[in-house]
Amino acid sequence: MALPQAVFFGVDLVKFGIDFVNFYALYFAISLTLNLEAGYTGVPNFGKVLYVAGGAAVAGSFSGRLAAYVYGINTHGDFITFNARIITQVNNLIASDPVFATELVLLSLLIAALIGAVFGYLSSYPAIRLREDYLGMLLLAVAQFFQIFLRGFGPLVGGTEGIFVPDPYAYFASLGIGVRDLVAAAVISVFAVLVFFFAEKVARSPLGRTMRAVRDNEDASRALGKDDASVRRKVLVVASAIAGMAGALVTFYYGSVGADTWSRFAWTFWPWLIVIIGGAANNAGIALGALFFTALFKGLAQIQIVLPPSVLSDPNYVVDIAFAALIVIVLLVRPDGILRERPTPTLPRRRLVMIARSSSTQRPAAEVDSSREGEGKLGWLKSLLGRILKRRESADSAR
Amino acid sequence: MVVPYFNSAVVYASLFAFMAIGLTLTYLTTKVPNFAYGSFVTIGLYTAYTMWKINGIGPYYASAVAFLLAGLSSAVMYLVVLRPLARRGSSLVSLMIATFGVDFGFVGIFGIYTDYLTNRYTLNDTKQFFQLQADFNLGGVPGIVYVAPAALTLVTLLLYILLTRTKFGVAMRASVENPSLAKVLGINVERVYVVSWILAGGFAGMAGAFYTLWLPGGTSTGSDLIVEIFASSILGGLTSIFGAVLGGLVIGGSEIVVGTDLTTGFGAIGAGALGVLLLLVSFYLWREKKDRARILGVAGIVLSVYVVLEAASGLSLDPFVPGLVGGFGVEAIAYQKAVPLLIMVAALLVMPKGLVSINWRRLLRRERKK
Repeated sequence: MALPQAVFFGVDLVKFGIDFVNFYALYFAISLTLNLEAGYTGVPNFGKVLYVAGGAAVAGSFSGRLAAYVYGINTHGDFITFNARIITQVNNLIASDPVFATELVLLSLLIAALIGAVFGYLSSYPAIRLREDYLGMLLLAVAQFFQIFLRGFGPLVGGTEGIFVPDPYAYFASLGIGVRDLVAAAVISVFAVLVFFFAEKVARSPLGRTMRAVRDNEDASRALGKDDASVRRKVLVVASAIAGMAGALVTFYYGSVGADTWSRFAWTFWPWLIVIIGGAANNAGIALGALFFTALFKGLAQIQIVLPPSVLSDPNYVVDIAFAALIVIVLLVRPDGILRERPTPTLPRRRLVMIARSSSTQRPAAEVDSSREGEGKLGWLKSLLGRILKRRESADSAR
Repeated sequence: MVVPYFNSAVVYASLFAFMAIGLTLTYLTTKVPNFAYGSFVTIGLYTAYTMWKINGIGPYYASAVAFLLAGLSSAVMYLVVLRPLARRGSSLVSLMIATFGVDFGFVGIFGIYTDYLTNRYTLNDTKQFFQLQADFNLGGVPGIVYVAPAALTLVTLLLYILLTRTKFGVAMRASVENPSLAKVLGINVERVYVVSWILAGGFAGMAGAFYTLWLPGGTSTGSDLIVEIFASSILGGLTSIFGAVLGGLVIGGSEIVVGTDLTTGFGAIGAGALGVLLLLVSFYLWREKKDRARILGVAGIVLSVYVVLEAASGLSLDPFVPGLVGGFGVEAIAYQKAVPLLIMVAALLVMPKGLVSINWRRLLRRERKK
């Protein structure tokens, strides 16, 4: 079974679409975790690549070894050197063993989350104590060191050359390489959607309100008895664990992991770009920002078709410069992003309507004055309630 | 006694001191850690590379051009990116992201430039090149070992004179201390900021040009050096130019000394000395009246006694201590950047205001009283 082809100006649209969804879902998930830290809690994490790379490297290295052990493949005591041969054997076996493939992915995700959480816990130590600028410098330096470490340290991911990773989608690869990528896109999309609902849930929870309180006024939140250090630690640990899982998913999608993938530009700066474009502390904004970013990135990469390689060997360089200009322009023109932060309703809409109706029995509805719309912090909520009440009244009178 | 890595340590220390001065200057004026600072080093690197490969002009002459080019880029970055943002009232984090973005833009510019060089001049090592064989020799020692520290001394001296003996220097210090008051007194604060950004970029470019004589370089060299540059500046306190010189010297020197020793080994005496050092630190921790410090102290004492005993007896009970004695091999060179990183973390924990903030005399007196 092969996927249908729809070639348009030399671009296979189906393949392009699958690639697009993969990229989008991945960056959407990672940016959501950054949004939890930087947007909601005010911890400017300039070392995001550290958690993603940590999860990816450990999951990539671990899953290959585990699969080789389970299938009893002879590693000659040196997994890295004979890596290509071992993983080929593993992939042949795993193609007919989807149950083990699923287990392998789940276990690797767990380990990646653990590594991310440990890194997050460690970075919470400076994050609680240092000012933004010092924290930024420290986390940036640590993340850069981690990449240099991966380059030099052979046993984990084989340095710059990288190692292959067992392909849990191998079963689908036999149906065609497009099908495999489609399934991978589906898995990453499900992951991203789960992260989105989780982030929304957190944002609406009491913890989310505490996070914003800590961000907006540390002293006031402390005076109200909130433990700001513990809030920051919790957020860093959870967000980093999710970032680690995202890293593991990248590894399985690419089928290999090495040191040079983990540049601080692709995994720290791009998520930051998405958060800034989309709007900090607004998860729906992140979804739009990630869409805008992916469209621009994947679109600009198609310049290659227009320009011959003698003029431009790598279209990514143009993308680099364009994004540098973009972030400055966005920060200048619209620093709040596409969607601004809004007060999040803490209860589902239906419950709010019920509450509004029960309170309307105690006092006349005329008191809800529509001219006070947008006033104060909860003005948005009040006007919404007022509008709902009015609609209800008109429905009642019509009856 | 001249140890073999002496030359390396001298060059590294001087170059990092140069870079740290520049970063500290930008931080002093705009209060933003410039994440794009490594790119100015790369500009210097490629100025020297281009002039040597194409025109046959050595990096010492190229360093002047590199100073101008990198200084100009730095000023443009300030005028086009940071000043408009700061005037708009952007937060510190926004400014940091903007400098991060500029660094990313430089990656693209270097990529296009190196591609251009490759196509136009049929050079095949533009992305990653070995050190340029353009240095002179004096008494069997490469010239850079003399030139780098001499240039650093000269620049430090000139900066000292500029900051304390000239009107412009006084204006500069005034605008750093209190911009509004300086403005009231008729000082052109903006001009002062632009000049310090030019100087900052210029020092990075110069250091980059010198760097090509000593080490292999490439498009990502500046990006990777950011670890050491930040460490040097933070160790110097981020607000003191002479602290930055000190920080750069400490970071560069210790990175080479420790890194080289990790590959070739400290010898039994060296490993024993490390154990004793650990013992002293642990003892200090143990004396603190805190539970956690006590536990750490006791663990450190046990560990240090173990290290000293094993180093003295020559047994190999674990791979670590014999590694310290006999060396971990060439692979360890990859982790020598851990040294500046650890120093940076320690500096942030123990003395966040840097080396110059410590009142050594009072510290000694307090210790004696205990």
